[in-house]
Amino acid sequence: MQRRDFFKKVGAVVAVSAVIPAMSFAADAKKTVSKNAMSYATALNAITGGKTPTASDKVKLKVPEIAENGAVVPVTVNVDSPMTDADYVKAIHILTSKNFNARTIDIHLTPANGEAMFSTRIKLGGTQDVVAVIELSNGEFLIASQSVKVTIGGCG
Amino acid sequence: MSKSLIKIKPKKYKDGEVVKVNFMVMHPMDTGMGKDKKTKEIIPAKYINSVKFEYNGKVITTMNVWESLSVNPVFTTSMKINGAGKLSVTFTDSTGEVNEASIKIKPKG
Amino acid sequence: MKIGTKIVLSLALLSSFSFAGEQFAMSDADRAMYSEMLENNPADMMVANGEELLAKYGGGEAGLAAFFNVSEEKLPAYIAGFPRYLPEFKQVVALDQALQGLMSKNGHKPFKLKSSDMYDMSAYAKSLANGQKINIDVNANKQMKAARAMGEEVYMTKRGGRGLACNSCHSPDVVGSILRTQPLPAIDGKGNAVAANWPAYRMTKSNMTTLAVRFQGCMNNALLAVIPLGSKEMVALEVYLTNEAKGSEISIPGLKR
Repeated sequence: MQRRDFFKKVGAVVAVSAVIPAMSFAADAKKTVSKNAMSYATALNAITGGKTPTASDKVKLKVPEIAENGAVVPVTVNVDSPMTDADYVKAIHILTSKNFNARTIDIHLTPANGEAMFSTRIKLGGTQDVVAVIELSNGEFLIASQSVKVTIGGCG
Repeated sequence: MSKSLIKIKPKKYKDGEVVKVNFMVMHPMDTGMGKDKKTKEIIPAKYINSVKFEYNGKVITTMNVWESLSVNPVFTTSMKINGAGKLSVTFTDSTGEVNEASIKIKPKG
Repeated sequence: MKIGTKIVLSLALLSSFSFAGEQFAMSDADRAMYSEMLENNPADMMVANGEELLAKYGGGEAGLAAFFNVSEEKLPAYIAGFPRYLPEFKQVVALDQALQGLMSKNGHKPFKLKSSDMYDMSAYAKSLANGQKINIDVNANKQMKAARAMGEEVYMTKRGGRGLACNSCHSPDVVGSILRTQPLPAIDGKGNAVAANWPAYRMTKSNMTTLAVRFQGCMNNALLAVIPLGSKEMVALEVYLTNEAKGSEISIPGLKR
């Protein structure tokens, strides 16, 4: 039996008995809501202005399949672009599908960058997709995404 | 004052070469959602929200940043070396703190 | 009947654990990505801070060399031999304790062993030995011999509610097995050579720590009574593991999960 199936069965039993207490907790739980909270769909729309980005293998998004620690997840984006005045990557946007604020960072580039690349480390609140949205100088949008499993591992 | 560090890789480079610029800052990147373990009080948000790279007075890269970058964030971009001078980085955080760091650009050959 | 269910359940659990190990173990590509992060280690900023602190409170590299009574040229190799028996201290000391001595000799109140200033300063001091090979000499004198023996005892002795020793999780027979998604690391010269890359930046904590503080964290998690920093036993443990990593190249600051 797979671990997941096992938990599903156990989980089903637990869920039923948990409904009532969960409701009473919900009543007095004060949920912290950030003023920056933004869903992935809203964020994507804000960036592209409603245009649909094209999935492209010109965009190389490198993230670990399994993050050993959700607080520090390496992300690298490379875009195949000549970076000339006529044809360059105007911006790289990094989004997450489930963090409370889907927007993580926008990098506005110029031909003076020579290459379209960016690398950083981000926090992931749990297993989800990391998405790179690329804005080209001709107004087109490209997209690449990859799922990252966040585990709590090791000993401390 | 946030401590920061700019590194150019490789260390030796020529004019016209595309190099990597690593910029890192010591910053808590508090999301405003976390609680102090001892006092149980919510730690107010304090995160870097913008970064600007200027090479000899010309803006080459700007960034809008939100709270989900890691603590002590690292930013790596590329830059085409175009003469000697200075690369400066200005960064502000959500509480309005502004800091600046810079590094000399000295291409060889 | 009841017993029967229990057996089935535990078997199910057992198999699920081995599956879990396979499903959640990181791939080599993922690991490579993490090791690339060493190039941009946030701890570099802390080491730079340590440099300023050592200049301010210990007269920098020259002050440190004079304190150890060695030439600046020989300082890196000397640092690569810590922990050492120092007659002025009348005991075997780790590098951070020696730095406390330097600070107090210069009329300053020494940083606590558990303080970020000390982590930064000792990381900088140890980074002076980067590229050197660990050259601890556990046969240098009877004090070092005794420290190594005590360190081995600390390492091997099973303690705490779970009866665990350091060796329980880091002996060659179990190294590599997956514990909560992480492979148990070898911490001697054949593996991570921890003595060569601590002080290090701890990503889960977003700060720099020394090896002894990491030992404490490990003891705490394994439910062992935590050995105090600077105690004979703690220094002895560092002596033992440093000797196990003898010959490994020092590379400070490390970057750890």
